[in-house]
Amino acid sequence: MLALLGAGSYGNATAQSIRVIATVPDLADIAKQIGKELVVVESLTKGVEFMHSVPVKPSFVPKLNRANILIEMGLALEHSWLPALLEVANNPRILEGQPGNIDCSNGVTVLEVPTKIDRAEGDVHPKGNPHYNLDPLNGKIIARNIADGLSRNFPQHKATFEKNLAAYLGELDKAIARWQGSAGPLKGVKFVSYHGDWTYFANRYGLQQVGTIEVKPGIEPTPNHLVSLVQRMQQEKAQVIIYGPQSDRYPRQLAGQTGASIVRLQTNAGATAETDSYIKFIDSNLRSLLSALKKG
Amino acid sequence: MMISFSAALRRAVLPALFVCTVTTPVTYGATSELDALRSSFKGMQEQLQKALQRIEQLEKEKTATSSRVERVEKSVKSSAGAASALNPAIGVVIDTTAEHRSTVGGTFNFRAAELGLAASIDPYARGYAIITGSREGVEVEEAAMVTTSLPWNLQARGGRFFADFGRLAKFHPHEYAFVNSPLSLERIVGGESKADGVELSYLFSTPFFLRATLGGYNKIGAENERLDDSKSRSWSRFTYLARLNTYADLTDNHNLELGTSMAYTPSVRLVDIGGSTRNLVGLDLTYRYQPLGRTTDQSVTWGNELFVNSERRAKTYDDGRVVGRRRNAFGGYSYAEWQFNRNWATGFLFDYAPSIDSPGKKTKGYSPFLTWSPSEFNRLRFQFTHLSDMVREEKAERGNQVFLQWTTVLGSHTHGFRTR
Repeated sequence: MLALLGAGSYGNATAQSIRVIATVPDLADIAKQIGKELVVVESLTKGVEFMHSVPVKPSFVPKLNRANILIEMGLALEHSWLPALLEVANNPRILEGQPGNIDCSNGVTVLEVPTKIDRAEGDVHPKGNPHYNLDPLNGKIIARNIADGLSRNFPQHKATFEKNLAAYLGELDKAIARWQGSAGPLKGVKFVSYHGDWTYFANRYGLQQVGTIEVKPGIEPTPNHLVSLVQRMQQEKAQVIIYGPQSDRYPRQLAGQTGASIVRLQTNAGATAETDSYIKFIDSNLRSLLSALKKG
Repeated sequence: MMISFSAALRRAVLPALFVCTVTTPVTYGATSELDALRSSFKGMQEQLQKALQRIEQLEKEKTATSSRVERVEKSVKSSAGAASALNPAIGVVIDTTAEHRSTVGGTFNFRAAELGLAASIDPYARGYAIITGSREGVEVEEAAMVTTSLPWNLQARGGRFFADFGRLAKFHPHEYAFVNSPLSLERIVGGESKADGVELSYLFSTPFFLRATLGGYNKIGAENERLDDSKSRSWSRFTYLARLNTYADLTDNHNLELGTSMAYTPSVRLVDIGGSTRNLVGLDLTYRYQPLGRTTDQSVTWGNELFVNSERRAKTYDDGRVVGRRRNAFGGYSYAEWQFNRNWATGFLFDYAPSIDSPGKKTKGYSPFLTWSPSEFNRLRFQFTHLSDMVREEKAERGNQVFLQWTTVLGSHTHGFRTR
């Protein structure tokens, strides 16, 4: 019985391929671009989840168990679910700090690193804001980290990874230049977001954050907080409210009170067919935001 | 850095200008003037060359110094973390209730202050300890080592821990969706599956999740008083466990988990009636609705467990005779919890708990509950319980009861795989 079960999963056509598991579709897409035919890549999440409350599904365990490489965002973005899975995945080579673990946050200039780590400040990210993928320039760092990580584990394919990396960076650079142009109208736009995940994006394109719907990270708004947020939005003339995988109840309420437009953006690729790659995902967010501003 | 750099620049460039201004006036006559100009120009050129070289060198030094500064900063940062980095992650859970039972009255029940510690031991193992203080005193509930890099998909666990029996038996009571342990779990398993022993788990290489556990323990059950943990005994009086656990995603948003466990004790010896085998069997089925895009504010969990206990139990007759007879007690619980926004959840627990001595007598429990979590680490819960009790052993286990529970987490707290 054991032998049969064991034989079933191995020995198939993909046995030679490098098995890569990424935590989010953004990383899976970039890994595919760099590994091409040498890799089989799968993302554990679909891009629609709120990254801090991804269900710990046992179906992820066999995938992690068989992975040669695990690619993660790092900065504790996955801390509420990935460690619990790795606990039972029996795969020491992909644990944090091991060669098979690629932490894409290496080399990223981390924003909002807390000076005080206290839960009175909400569910703070002790290592800083982990949503760095929203700044496309960080996409280049992600790609470099993935190429380096793949080469570290499979040095025999280093030349291929480097060649694919160069091609991908070229493509990404072109897109970045295009976005820089189209994002012109975003400069100086004041916005409110549900959770504080838009800092990197705002910094890149010159938007100014007026506040968050959450009182503190992970803490739902109180009536008082909403009243003062409305006042601030009116004083500062906030134009747009950004939310993601949260309920649209408060964004709609605030929009009704302030006249700001609301827009649902994605914090990760993969949520829809139009965002099935990292580049398309940034494209789609920019488009949605620009069209929301026009309406407003 | 900037000050010393510009000072150095002045040191290099000023002499050049000085040469230029000072040498010119002391020449006279056309040829000698031209020569003097040439030589002073040459001098200036040399001085400028030197100045440029000096600037270049300083630039290099500057880069080297700033990267040195970065390195020092990094090492300061990492050494600042080093002192606490070797300490385990520490968390405390405080769990209290205000409760009223129609049969026995009310109390503020300090249920637990649970200190949790966890850390890697070395590249091959991690460890954790959960030490609980409550009204009953202080107790090491769990303190165990778990391997992290055994070959062949094996994982070993040793020490004191909650044995891999069923689902809810591995939860600490503050982790339940409701206030109290189901009576069926209390009576048949003995509450949490606390055990001193060793366990080996195997993850099958199937495309779906399938995990097996084998274990050997002194005994299983926090409230199991069949024998004393501190006494040595023959190997036939230990408890041996086997469990198989699997899981299926029905769709992205719906999933089902199934487990079956058996704990076998070859010989349980009770006063007056002698030894017998004990078989404790469990079946657990959990359905979850977890809409991926809405996991912060929507979910349904439907948890069910059946337990069967089979062993000889003593029956005392009116004339004082004590007779041992094999009793098969069958019980279980079913609960559903519906989280309807980020802060609120509600649900219902049905409990069906036999007496293991006289399985014909049952207690049935009905408990609606409502939970409010102002944050992930702070939770208030209101529960009403009606117990229809035919067992008549414990006064506190009958009638109507109300509970207001307040549970908080200080410091580090992560949900492990078993309490997902």
